[in-house]
Amino acid sequence: MTADPGRYDAVSLGILWDRLVSIADEIVSTLVRTSFSTIVSESYDLTVVILDRDGRLMAQGSYSVPVFIGTAPRTLRYMLDKFPPETLRPGDVICTNDPWMGTGHLFDINVMRPVFRNGEIVGYTMSITHLPDIGGMGFGAAASEIFHEGLRLPICKLVREGEADPFILDLVRTNVRTPDATVGDLMANVTCNEVGSRQLLEFMDEYNIDDLSPLSEAIRGQSERAMREKIRGIQNGTYENRILIEAIDDPIPLACRIDVKDEEVLIDFDGTGDCVRRGINVPFCYTNAMSLYSIKCITIPTLPNNEGATRPVRVTAPEGCLLNAQPPFPTGGRHAIGHFVPGLIFGALADAAPDKVQADNGMMDLLTIQATHPDGRPVSTICFVSGGFGALQGQDGRDCLPGPSNMAAVPVEVWETITGMTVVSKTLTPDSGGPGTFRGGVGQEVVLRNDTGRAMTVLSMGNRTDFAPPGYLGGHPGGLRRHRINGETIHPKGAHSLSPGDEIALVQAGGGGIGDPAERTPDAIARDIALGFVTPEGAARDYGFGSSDDD
Amino acid sequence: MSWRIGVDIGGTFTDFALLDHDGRKLAIHKQLTTPADPSAAVVEGVGAILAANGVAIEEVDAIAHGTTLVTNAVIERRGAVTGMLVTEGFGDIMDMGMEQRYDLFDLRIRYPDPIVPRPLRRGIAERIHFDGRIETPVDVSAARAAIRDLVACERIEALAICFLHSYIDPAHERAVTEMAEAEFPELYISASADVYPNMREYERWTTTAINAYARPMADQYLARLEGGLGGLGFRGRLYIMTSSGGMLAPETARRFPVRLLESGPAAGMLMASVQGRALDLADVLSFDLGGTTAKGALVRNFSPLKTEQMEVARVHEFRRGSGLPLRIPVLDMIEIGSGGGSIAAVDDRGLLKVGPRSAGADPGPACYGRGGQRGALSDANLVLGYLDPDFFLGGEMSLDRNAAADAIESTVAEPLGLSVERAAWGIHDTASEDIARAFRIHAAERGFDYRAASMVAFGGSGPLHAMPVAEKLKIPRVVFPIGAGVYSALGLLASPLAFELARSRRTVADDLDAESFAAMFEPLVVEASGFLEAAGVAASEIRIRRQIDIRYFGQTHEIQVTLPEGDPKAAFANLRDLFETRYAEVYTFATLEAPLEIINWKVSASGPEPQFKTGYALEAGTDTRDADALKGMRQVYFAPDGYREIPVYDRYALQPGTAIEGPALIEERESTCLLTPGSRALVDAQHNIVAELEERP
Repeated sequence: MTADPGRYDAVSLGILWDRLVSIADEIVSTLVRTSFSTIVSESYDLTVVILDRDGRLMAQGSYSVPVFIGTAPRTLRYMLDKFPPETLRPGDVICTNDPWMGTGHLFDINVMRPVFRNGEIVGYTMSITHLPDIGGMGFGAAASEIFHEGLRLPICKLVREGEADPFILDLVRTNVRTPDATVGDLMANVTCNEVGSRQLLEFMDEYNIDDLSPLSEAIRGQSERAMREKIRGIQNGTYENRILIEAIDDPIPLACRIDVKDEEVLIDFDGTGDCVRRGINVPFCYTNAMSLYSIKCITIPTLPNNEGATRPVRVTAPEGCLLNAQPPFPTGGRHAIGHFVPGLIFGALADAAPDKVQADNGMMDLLTIQATHPDGRPVSTICFVSGGFGALQGQDGRDCLPGPSNMAAVPVEVWETITGMTVVSKTLTPDSGGPGTFRGGVGQEVVLRNDTGRAMTVLSMGNRTDFAPPGYLGGHPGGLRRHRINGETIHPKGAHSLSPGDEIALVQAGGGGIGDPAERTPDAIARDIALGFVTPEGAARDYGFGSSDDD
Repeated sequence: MSWRIGVDIGGTFTDFALLDHDGRKLAIHKQLTTPADPSAAVVEGVGAILAANGVAIEEVDAIAHGTTLVTNAVIERRGAVTGMLVTEGFGDIMDMGMEQRYDLFDLRIRYPDPIVPRPLRRGIAERIHFDGRIETPVDVSAARAAIRDLVACERIEALAICFLHSYIDPAHERAVTEMAEAEFPELYISASADVYPNMREYERWTTTAINAYARPMADQYLARLEGGLGGLGFRGRLYIMTSSGGMLAPETARRFPVRLLESGPAAGMLMASVQGRALDLADVLSFDLGGTTAKGALVRNFSPLKTEQMEVARVHEFRRGSGLPLRIPVLDMIEIGSGGGSIAAVDDRGLLKVGPRSAGADPGPACYGRGGQRGALSDANLVLGYLDPDFFLGGEMSLDRNAAADAIESTVAEPLGLSVERAAWGIHDTASEDIARAFRIHAAERGFDYRAASMVAFGGSGPLHAMPVAEKLKIPRVVFPIGAGVYSALGLLASPLAFELARSRRTVADDLDAESFAAMFEPLVVEASGFLEAAGVAASEIRIRRQIDIRYFGQTHEIQVTLPEGDPKAAFANLRDLFETRYAEVYTFATLEAPLEIINWKVSASGPEPQFKTGYALEAGTDTRDADALKGMRQVYFAPDGYREIPVYDRYALQPGTAIEGPALIEERESTCLLTPGSRALVDAQHNIVAELEERP
């Protein structure tokens, strides 16, 4: 493959492109270090993008979580519809948390700043972070309408020529449980975009670039070509998959049909069940992001994100289905369903790309905590806990690693300090990794105790409680997720109260396995037993290891 | 007459520098490292450098030593069998790590195995809360039984004691440590609150595990070294370099070997700051480009920037997140996967990429003629004329230009549709860009403005890429120091005895008064000074520096503020000013209404700075002094115009005061300095070459 024959050859395009990605990374770093919530600073639930004058995505921070792939260009278009470019002034900052214009739930704030050079807009930067609180019922699945879920900020001008709008800040402050943290994070978004503008201008000065469009076009063109070439590596055909997942009451089907044709992939989710009146419905932007993410992982994981990379993949879902939710269905805990999309797609493609797909993940648990710290401060934050990672051909899944999303666990010592809760234990759960030639990662059990001295609310959004993460190519499923309060199993999606001294146990699902367990090497099984990831009984049951009929 | 010796053990060579008391006479020596017993090369080399310079061992009063011993032990997993006692219910955290992927799209990412395998970790009932409240007293008899079992069944030689929140109250760790030291005297023991008492259990415990893991080996190594040097008749003091650029007495190094990680590179970075002081350059970028990686560090106002975070033993392309995260005081270095051996390739995008895969020393770049088939950075530099095929390592090895050109042709130029020259230039330029980008983000994250700074370049390829990198960063000045080939060994001679301590204690500033603020530092001052006094420094000569990690209340990341020297009570009144000034430097804006919260309290105690005057000159190569410095002319490539003929000088023949206009090459044994077109260099009295870049609009 050769580079674009136009303005940039394979050397200069590489240099300029890498530099743009590093600017996005630098914006992320400012964001992380000025933020007020562990959701941003420890768990990296965020993204940063750079768009050209025409609103096309050129570069995205390397640490972005998958759900933010491909959302920003649409969000920017909505913003520019309301505030056309010619009305924008240097120093203006626009924001919204509208689920259907942004990233699918009210907790994500999208903050955009136009970049001016010599009085003209040359591009845009945008950052997105998950806010610690946005009012309403809090981050959870308990709402039956979007209106329960919190403050919905229509597209608005948060900063006008460098001056933050005091009314908007006041509005936010008045409507949330954690005014300092929420407004602090909002302002961290403003700051990082300011840094971003400066960086982008320096970049343009340094390389004498007056117009980013040709570079943007070269980056997107090169990405698209690279992506198309890799898609050719997947065998043409139509692949289907249908799984049942736990929703609120009855199981709901998720279905997909994938058409791989030469260098294009079409993914459609027809056959998926309807929306429910709880906050787990998935707006299409989220479904789309997870689909693009899945295809990228199995084709060209090293390719930096931009609009070109996503063009050969088209995603559709019937309007109103669970994966294309419409207002006013609530969407707060959309991830609890949306995280199934990669597994659904990998399951469909397992035979077409057996050496690429990953058995499904134990996924992660997100638990919102609304409490009062023993020191009197209000606390609203998220507890992230990882299940086991799915296995791949040739590689066991890692124990306790999040997927498909990537929010890091908060250290025990930090968690106890900021919440006043006690972590009673945090232990691996043997035998929870799906058996296979390559074993799924094991999950864990975390036990938390309310030691704040006051009652507190936990909003759970668990999945994998009835349907374990499937293994592929003969691999077996991993273990299930469970939530218990004082030993009693609770509904995994809902609001629960913890009295002082109450304990909540979060048992995490293991990852699925790949390949027939009978093919796993005795050495690997013996090592698992020695390290305690598999019990001797589990090895006998799942692998026939050490039993009398073992030849 | 008294002398000091610096000894730095590297992967291939052990370097020696011998300096007289006034810091005026300097000699250097190099010999092959002896991996099986690195002390052998040290002892032999010390004898050799003394003999060559007619100095008697009795005249040497100090030997300062830097070593990669601990780093290599961790990378190669050659440490002791180590057990761990950990708060019951939390041992598995060592398997879970950060619970985060460092690459989102690569599903095949890998992580290093924990230092202490799961069966060697035993839970002990005990619990201290974040606020210091004791919920469960420690069960010492259970700890005794666990140790007995680990010793009997697992044959552990070292033990890490790691309890939650021990940075708030180390009582439980201390109780178990005292019992274990009394009843298992053969065990090497490390407790997490002693190693580095900071919040975040995974990093603190990993640090402690590595410390325990390295203790037996460090102890034996230092014993051999002391024995060997004693055998030569050495009666002076032996000092060991730490990761943060300070010196430790061997007794302290034996207790905290984790602090010796990366001590060799630290010495080089430290030397760059010393050079800055000598040349009155307050802000410096230290730049070391070797065979497989480049390392950088920043010096602000004559002091190298330090941090408490580092990662060792990265298992995936030097990627951040793929190693074991530690918390120790370290010079704040970046490591970039670009070196002379970095292989150029077409990446998944269809564009040129250089590194991080490296041809290493064997087979090495194609031009080594040892079977390397893929074009590497050194191949490109040879094709472009920057390297002389007949003067590599001073002519000890000859390079094959045709092999280099062929490799670049087949692996880069042809697949990308470029000429060989354009491809070679692309490799050279991309490597410089990668390095400049890494510096840029490193500097930005630290609020460091490099546009008025100077770069000090060393390492095999550093002097060749320094000016191209400096041009990209618009750094106005590059220093090519004399003795760059043994730069870390020189740095060892420039370092004072020093010990840093830090403790996590979250405190809202409003809850303190000047008295209680000052009192927070006191135990740290006493402890850190104690290590220096034990190493022979008079109390009156110990300099104390106090720092705090501080943030707006509610934020989760802190910035480091250094208190003005003197009474901390006085600094307390200006705390908000100190914080907001620093905050604005890092983040461009400041001032929120929020109260301030102090997270970590840090003290660094250091002894007197060693004499290291500016007057030394390298004795090496005196025989060429009278020769003509101009070796000849060579065809060298510069974009965009292509090859042009430029002068090549012999560094050892350049006299102080000589001015050279770029473009030019200045060759020395271990490296070649490139002066880019438009630059102007001057040889100073110490034979350093100081190049000024052309000012551009």
